[in-house]
Amino acid sequence: MTGGAQVPGAAPPEGWDAGDMGCGELLIELRMRLLPLAPGTVFELVALDPGARSDLPAWCRLTGHALVQAEHPVYWIRRRNH
Amino acid sequence: MGKFCVNVTNSKSDPDKATVGFVVANAAVASDQETMVFLSTEGVRLGQKGYADDIHEEGFSPLRELMANFVKAGGKIWVCSPCFKRRKLDENKLVDGATIVGGAKLVEFLSGGSPCVTY
Repeated sequence: MTGGAQVPGAAPPEGWDAGDMGCGELLIELRMRLLPLAPGTVFELVALDPGARSDLPAWCRLTGHALVQAEHPVYWIRRRNH
Repeated sequence: MGKFCVNVTNSKSDPDKATVGFVVANAAVASDQETMVFLSTEGVRLGQKGYADDIHEEGFSPLRELMANFVKAGGKIWVCSPCFKRRKLDENKLVDGATIVGGAKLVEFLSGGSPCVTY
């Protein structure tokens, strides 16, 4: 676990430190890690790449996952329901 | 689901462009777009098994890995038929997920309103 800011009552059961990975490499790996999880699971991602600030909100808009919290480099993403 | 095309026109002729093309394709397929990489001109060499094995640009994953992840996520690779033939490549040695196509297939895909970015 990577120790980002806490959301009351919603401790993330899963997480991944992506290090410097960015752009398509980050997104495809994130997708592979997120989709097997149960709908509604909150996933903590640490992504140091400067592009992550704009990419992760866009990716969530495109895919329907919810960006619960974004405090670069820590992002909490709730897996979509389908 | 939207459509997205990435046209890769380079291989060892410009490994940076070939690599970034697949990085962008991975971003598209990971974003739930019906994504197709169109390999044309020198890019068709990437459609041959083993060719990309020694392409690894600094700061990126090896190209072979980027291509495998793309196909695993549901991406399609289309290989330009005349470009492939004039280089005398082997259609029995295509990488996984690759199909040789003619211009009509490309036109059909794009005419549905797909954006296309070229590397």
